Amino acid sequence: MEAAFPQLCILGASAVLLAAIIPLWRRHVPAYIVAFQWQSFALAFVTALVGYMAHIRELYIVAALIVAIRGMLFVRLLRKLQARVGEITELKPLVNIPTSLLIAATLVVIAYAATRPAVLVASSPTRGAMPLAIAVILVSMFTVASRKTAIGQVIGFLMLENGIALLSAVASYGVPLTVELGLFLDALLGFLVMQILVFHIHDAFDTTDVEQLSRLKH
Amino acid sequence: MTPLSALFVVVVPLYALAAAASVWPARRAQIGIGNGAAAAGSAAALVVGAGALRPASDALAAVALLPAGSFAFRLDGLSAVFLVLIGLVGTASGVYAIGYSGDYRRSQLATMGIAQVLFLSSMILTVVAANAFTFLFAWELMSIAAYLMVVTDGSAETVSAANWYMAIAHAGFAAVAAAFLLMSAGELTVGFDVLSKVSHPTALKNLIFLLALGGFAAKAGIIPLHIWLPLAHPVAPSHGSALMSAAVIKMGAYGLVRVSFDLLGGGPSWWGGLVLALGAASAVVGLLLALVQQDLKRLLAYSSVENIGIVFMGLGASLLFRSEGLDALATAALVAAIYHALNHAAFKGLLFMGAGSIVHATGTRNMELLGGLIHRMPWTAALFLIGACAISALPPLNGFASEWLLFHTLFGAGLVARPVIGVTLPVAIAALALSGGLAAACFVKAFGISFLALPRSGEAAEAHESPLSMRAAMTLLALCCVALGLMPGAVTSLLARALVEPGAASVVSAGGAVELVSPSGVGRVAPLAIGALLVATIVLAALVVRAIVGGRIRIGDTWGCGRLVHTSRMEYTAAAFAEPLRRVFRELYRPTEDLVVETHPESPYFIQGIEYRSDVNPWIERVFYRRLSRAVERAGRSMRRLQMGSLHVYLLYLLSALIGLLIASAWL
Repeated sequence: MEAAFPQLCILGASAVLLAAIIPLWRRHVPAYIVAFQWQSFALAFVTALVGYMAHIRELYIVAALIVAIRGMLFVRLLRKLQARVGEITELKPLVNIPTSLLIAATLVVIAYAATRPAVLVASSPTRGAMPLAIAVILVSMFTVASRKTAIGQVIGFLMLENGIALLSAVASYGVPLTVELGLFLDALLGFLVMQILVFHIHDAFDTTDVEQLSRLKH
Repeated sequence: MTPLSALFVVVVPLYALAAAASVWPARRAQIGIGNGAAAAGSAAALVVGAGALRPASDALAAVALLPAGSFAFRLDGLSAVFLVLIGLVGTASGVYAIGYSGDYRRSQLATMGIAQVLFLSSMILTVVAANAFTFLFAWELMSIAAYLMVVTDGSAETVSAANWYMAIAHAGFAAVAAAFLLMSAGELTVGFDVLSKVSHPTALKNLIFLLALGGFAAKAGIIPLHIWLPLAHPVAPSHGSALMSAAVIKMGAYGLVRVSFDLLGGGPSWWGGLVLALGAASAVVGLLLALVQQDLKRLLAYSSVENIGIVFMGLGASLLFRSEGLDALATAALVAAIYHALNHAAFKGLLFMGAGSIVHATGTRNMELLGGLIHRMPWTAALFLIGACAISALPPLNGFASEWLLFHTLFGAGLVARPVIGVTLPVAIAALALSGGLAAACFVKAFGISFLALPRSGEAAEAHESPLSMRAAMTLLALCCVALGLMPGAVTSLLARALVEPGAASVVSAGGAVELVSPSGVGRVAPLAIGALLVATIVLAALVVRAIVGGRIRIGDTWGCGRLVHTSRMEYTAAAFAEPLRRVFRELYRPTEDLVVETHPESPYFIQGIEYRSDVNPWIERVFYRRLSRAVERAGRSMRRLQMGSLHVYLLYLLSALIGLLIASAWL
């Protein structure tokens, strides 16, 4: 078990990254939500794994919270949001799918290059997952920047949060529970604010294409 | 109790009371207690400063240091002199404001009261600061207080003026902060007493000096950083203008003395030459610009540029003589400079308050709408005349004493062996002489156009004398003008003792309390004797006239060259008075003229009206700032290109910044 631990850790982190790439690959909005749900489960798995190996009981609570809040509550709220604005497909992403995937690949390479010094000096068994966590953050940011539908952006933001949570789990075995709780609250609040914004955009422009926001400039 | 703890124990509660009263719901408390307590606190500061300067006092010998956290306070001779200056102006300003602020709204009264207290306390903190942190804190507080004071009115003009002030004050603050950071190697809480013993490499020392000079010149209003004075001083409430012009710009001089004399301990002779040249340029150009103004308070503001220029000339000469090893001359020049700063505080405070009385009575600052006020406002006219005579350096008033001393000190250039200095110092003497003559012309205009002849508008015709408190404040400052002028020897020996060392007093006080002796010992002057002679001549003339004509004095109309009707249209105007100078200094003013002659439709020989308008466009104020503001605008426009209105682009900025940083961190 001890020997398999780093491998399992990288496997979980890879699943998280894979889920982060799905919104770049699919145009079907409900698939984004499913991807986010699976990503949250994978994140909970990595967190619980780290907790088990490092004997940190608090991380079990965090993993349970991830499943409950990110995997269930957020998914539910997202589905409701989607039902209300009725978006099924991302029609015209700003960057087409092949290019998006190539850029995602580049971002992963950059993440590996950027974290190399840190990985070299780190001694923890989880160090192999650190570049993957950074890659999740970068890819999610790219998702936010390149998708036009509001739901695509909201999911990109939530995946970004997941990437940060993953990084904290693998790099420092999690943060104190109070901070972790604060992060959940932060994500929830951010989500609620964005939800309200999406509703407003939808009511004002009859679409949730954020491109329309540039009409507000003048 | 040391003078310093006395300062905090007495002044702080009084200022706190003033601040509290300023926001009190009752108007009477706002005006009476708010300003009264501010005046009382300032008077206490004045007493503390004067007490520390007393010849018998040993308070300065044992420098009192009062550390409180990161703040530290100290009262030495230089601080005590400026404490007296601030206390004097603050007392007068507080008393004056009791009568002056009657026309303001409640909210404006609160702003003004708070600004006044902040102003006074920040200036006091600045001069008693004993480390860079305290100094910079107080310095910035002063800028904020001045901003509040200027925007009291709230109109677009005042906000724009205050913004100009804020921009220049902040640029100056940045320079001063950089100078202190370099000087103390980043440790801002190191005391000034430690800093003054550190020796810096030459290049660093020069850099510190240049930064400090730039920062303090911005506060002092030295050309070309003077642009905020004529904008901000006219629009502030008049006691605020008096505070700013009489005290705030002196803080620039204080800072320069503190840094270049005390902390850096003098430097190469080009330091002094640079300060002297800047001072001379400010003195001449400031007055030339003052001469063509029609706004009375703007005229006074430009005249402040001239006077602070004279102070800087003295400081520059002192630095120069010090680097040449001529200690006696250096002491005399420093004393002359600070003496002039004190004098300017007295007479410019008085003049701004006089201008404030005119605004209070007529509602206008435009001299073309004034005239004849001497009949309606005899007190204000007499007091303004004393200020005008003092600023024109007429004996026996105070402006004469300090400028005389500075003249004679500059003549000491003959002792310097280096030809460059021997040739350039006479140019400075010529600049000082020119500015003295122009000052007289300028104040003949200010007094003559405003107070003499016939009123040029209905408001001027119905002016009323100002209330007692305003007259009392002006009388206090006028008495200071007379006292500082009549006792020059006493003042200079006190200053030399406080600024340099007790032994240095002998350099400038060889003639006792009432006589002023030039450093070379060649020139001596006793303003008291001049004054006595003046009074005696007037009395004698009156007696002779009475003896000759006896009681047969007939009072009739002024002879009007045969004309029967005199109207104010026939009077000399402010613009006309300055016309000859406008022609002589055409290159500087670049005037635009606009003459519209309206003739009868039947014949061009019957003129129905003439309209003449002439504006000056001094290039010296435009050439630098126009370019600067254009560059800022261009930079702003190019930055706007970043703001495209597309959410995705903004998010892309975030992503690319993050990736850029990651790559940079991995690479470096």
